[in-house]
Amino acid sequence: MLLRGTISYTLPTSTLRLRTTYTYPQNVAVSAQSTSSKFSISDQDLESRGFVLRRTVEDLNLDHLNSVFVAVGFPKRDPVKIRVALKNTDALLWVEYSKTQRPVAFARATGDGVFNAIIWDVVVDPSFQGIGLGKAVMERLVEELVGKGICNIALYSEPRVLGFYRPLGFVADPDGIRGMVYSRKQKYNK
Amino acid sequence: MPALSGVVSSSLCPIDSFGLGCGKSRQLIFPHNLHYSAAKASKRQKIFQVKAGFWESLKSGFTKNSTTQVIEPPSTLQEEEDSLPDEFVLVEKTEPDGAIEQIIFSSGGDVDVYDLQSLCDKVGWPRRPLSKLAAALQNSYMVATLHSVRKSAGSEGNDQKKLIGMARATSDHAFNATIWDVLVDPGYQGQGLGKALVEKLIRALLQRDIGNITLFADSQVIEFYRNLGFEPDPEGIKGNVKTQISLLYIVRE
Repeated sequence: MLLRGTISYTLPTSTLRLRTTYTYPQNVAVSAQSTSSKFSISDQDLESRGFVLRRTVEDLNLDHLNSVFVAVGFPKRDPVKIRVALKNTDALLWVEYSKTQRPVAFARATGDGVFNAIIWDVVVDPSFQGIGLGKAVMERLVEELVGKGICNIALYSEPRVLGFYRPLGFVADPDGIRGMVYSRKQKYNK
Repeated sequence: MPALSGVVSSSLCPIDSFGLGCGKSRQLIFPHNLHYSAAKASKRQKIFQVKAGFWESLKSGFTKNSTTQVIEPPSTLQEEEDSLPDEFVLVEKTEPDGAIEQIIFSSGGDVDVYDLQSLCDKVGWPRRPLSKLAAALQNSYMVATLHSVRKSAGSEGNDQKKLIGMARATSDHAFNATIWDVLVDPGYQGQGLGKALVEKLIRALLQRDIGNITLFADSQVIEFYRNLGFEPDPEGIKGNVKTQISLLYIVRE
């Protein structure tokens, strides 16, 4: 019980082309994007600086990933569970630092593959923050989801990183829709 | 004559169901075995007992007509210890003509996509392509349904089965799950069925050790979910979810 279809949305950024008013297409047609400068930083740019974009879990060392999670403040999670989670993830993107061959940025999305996606675990190693890696990962992840025709892309975020997500096209609680989380501590009322 | 539509609704919140904008789709009946509960899934209806408090709230939605029966739980049962079966009878009513209607909950995910589209039509959701609807169900971690099964008194074995509710959740199978598409046939709303649907879905998810259950709620249904244990914009929850504000990004091509 989540999203109302009548939401209209305006995208401020110039990197992605989108219509501003919402209609209900019978067939979801995905328009082709321009190829050259669709991202803030191009793949080549990143590579020239020693960062390689990866889109699969292949070669992703989960212990290294876990240490990035811990470095940004997540509690350490069971690597077995992380593996399961990644296996059941719709799309993921990470940046490998060539010199150390370790992941330095990561994001993934889960969903039903056609209508909805939620982005989780967006992290950039603190030593590599502020140089555009998070943005690079997010832009590409969103593009991949959009390319699949997924209309609703959401995520949960702390207020202090709102500024990071807004330029990517994210809007907070549009039309009064709120994200809710189940809390086991709460007793439910009648 | 206790037609179900004549049931007086209790203090339970009415359920508004909202669709996702992308155009509806029909779906093929999708097989049980896509969900890992499929190994246990069966068509047999088992009657199970649920925590008394919950059933109180459900009962209050029904008329006091003596022909209406609700499956009662023994109060000693602990909800947490009870393993949720894949399919069970939620409510059973006997009508004056002797017909019996059962509302059956199932988490086996057996959904006829045409039935689902009709249900979506009934609640006023925009149409989505059937193939996409099928894919969405297939890619969901769990699909819970409510069916009404009506057996006429003559014991001829002619059961009328109707899909009257559905809720589904996507998940990474380890940490997070998100509930989408909760809907109940308007003719069956106001009886606590939506609440039952979501509550059972949550329980099934918790049993599979999915600790973080989320959803996005329109302002009209925030109270409904609050009563089920959800909090909007929770603060400072560390771990799998960085929370406080939820953001929504809607894209159309």
